[in-house]
Amino acid sequence: MRFLKTLAGLRHHPLLTIGLVIILMLILFGPVASRFVNVKGAKVGSSLPEQTPSAEFPLGTDTYGREILPVMVVGTPLTLRIGLIAGTIGLGLGIILGFMAGYFGGWVDTLIKGAADVLLTVPGLLFLVVIATTLKGAVSVNMMALVVASLAWMWPTRTIRAQVLTLRERQFVMVARLNGMSGFEIIVRELIPNLLPYLAASFVSAVGSAILASIGLEALGLGPQNEPTLGMTIYWALYSTSVLRGLWWWWAPPIAVIILTFIGLFLISIGLDQIANPKLRRAT
Amino acid sequence: MSNPVLQVKDLRVYYHTARGPAKAVDGVSFELEPNTRLGLVGESGSGKSTMALALMRMIKTPGRIEGGQMILGGIDLATLSSEAMRQVRLSQISMIPQGAMNSLNPVVRVRKQMIDAIYAHNVKMTAKEIDRRIAEVIEWVDLEPGVANMFPHELSGGMKQRVCIAISILLKPKVIIADEPTSALDVVVQRQVMETIGRVQAELGASVILIGHDMGLMVQFVNRMIVMYAGKIAEMGNIRELFTQPLHPYSQLLISSLPRLDSKGELQGIPGIAPSLLNPPSGCVFHTRCPHVMDICSKQAPSLIAMDGGQMVSCHLYGEPLLW
Repeated sequence: MRFLKTLAGLRHHPLLTIGLVIILMLILFGPVASRFVNVKGAKVGSSLPEQTPSAEFPLGTDTYGREILPVMVVGTPLTLRIGLIAGTIGLGLGIILGFMAGYFGGWVDTLIKGAADVLLTVPGLLFLVVIATTLKGAVSVNMMALVVASLAWMWPTRTIRAQVLTLRERQFVMVARLNGMSGFEIIVRELIPNLLPYLAASFVSAVGSAILASIGLEALGLGPQNEPTLGMTIYWALYSTSVLRGLWWWWAPPIAVIILTFIGLFLISIGLDQIANPKLRRAT
Repeated sequence: MSNPVLQVKDLRVYYHTARGPAKAVDGVSFELEPNTRLGLVGESGSGKSTMALALMRMIKTPGRIEGGQMILGGIDLATLSSEAMRQVRLSQISMIPQGAMNSLNPVVRVRKQMIDAIYAHNVKMTAKEIDRRIAEVIEWVDLEPGVANMFPHELSGGMKQRVCIAISILLKPKVIIADEPTSALDVVVQRQVMETIGRVQAELGASVILIGHDMGLMVQFVNRMIVMYAGKIAEMGNIRELFTQPLHPYSQLLISSLPRLDSKGELQGIPGIAPSLLNPPSGCVFHTRCPHVMDICSKQAPSLIAMDGGQMVSCHLYGEPLLW
């Protein structure tokens, strides 16, 4: 009942709805399409190389004899998975560190804020390249996600800390302390409920930046070599100079999926922002 | 007379600023009898709220409790560990906050906030008992049972303040501190809220410390009153004597500055401004504004002496000065 109500409420937020539909479709794309498409076509040498799109190969094939459609079917969920895992870990760390720094203050704050600030000034890609190169050899998709997550926590930490700093000075937090609640209880029962919409929006942007970071690494060839993620597909396409040779069906589909992913995430982010931030709400 | 529920002895709270310590509460001692309503008055900066926060052990840095004892139920609150003090809050001593509008978490239902407050303490109550207690306190403060399932934005200011009162009595504390509980409420609601606090106090047999500067409210509500000035007690006594025969010049000025219905004369304020707590006047802190100032006042601080009627006053006009 409550769920249905929530669904009905979505019609007041068209942007959020469109974004959710796009992301839902992308998530379902892999599992559903793999029922109709022969996934074996994503393996190297499974078919003739460099075929233009046709009835037999709907999106053509690449230089290594991979069919692009199955590559998309396999690769899209892999890339989304990296984004979800890295975004979740990054935001999770950000929540823990941000709440600790913001609420407890003092040396805890100095330590966490200092670490986040220092890491923020270092170009993330450089760091990731160093980490990825030291992990030479077979990088798995999950490992990739962890590498990205290792640098995905600073922004959430800083922004959540800032939110907590304003929230903890509110009277009801003081009253909660007067009522004998401990610091941990105040964080869980008073602060987090107030920040839920904000955390949801942060989660979306964390997933987005994690996907972006993973694709950046992969396009440099530092991703999982044996998995056809979207970023790795772009890497192989660049490696084989597909753009110059006019093999558009090779590089265009992964880019299209990535663009669609970001549009979807962006719309969700705007939609959540409108819910979380009444100032952005239009009078209806 | 029975044993006092709360004994404060020589309490000192200083705020450590770059220009030295500001003595917000400076050597305050008093006793609170069970089942009484004690008023705490004084102008802004006289240390009323600081004293309330000190009793809750909620003084934030740069403030610090420098010394003294606050004995509640045989335990000195000043020496308790912070975890033990956390358990004492709400269960032994609770506080009705100033500004009811912002005192409740805006995104959590009233019932949930009450349950959270109970869960924060080591009390063994079943879910059923908690439900019954919540229903009980909601009824005590004269709210509809349905209020428990509402969000704070669905309540009016007076209802919110009554929810705060209900929360403060959830665990039946012995002492309830009400720090200007009716500020920001209109007069009609003020009266209802004060009646609610009074009824709850009587029902629980608890003692209430009412902090404020609304003298009219004080007269109607409290039995005993303490007049504070610059972190010190100027005078304390039963409300009736204190109002009809104020002894301390500050109390006299304070009471004569109140508007009266029968006389339409010009209102008199107290000349001068409150002294700096960083650099208080020598001797009696009030001597710079006192109409009866004597030579000794700037040299020696008066101590609190008991008068015949049970009143206590800290002024050189009464009792023999020790040296000239």
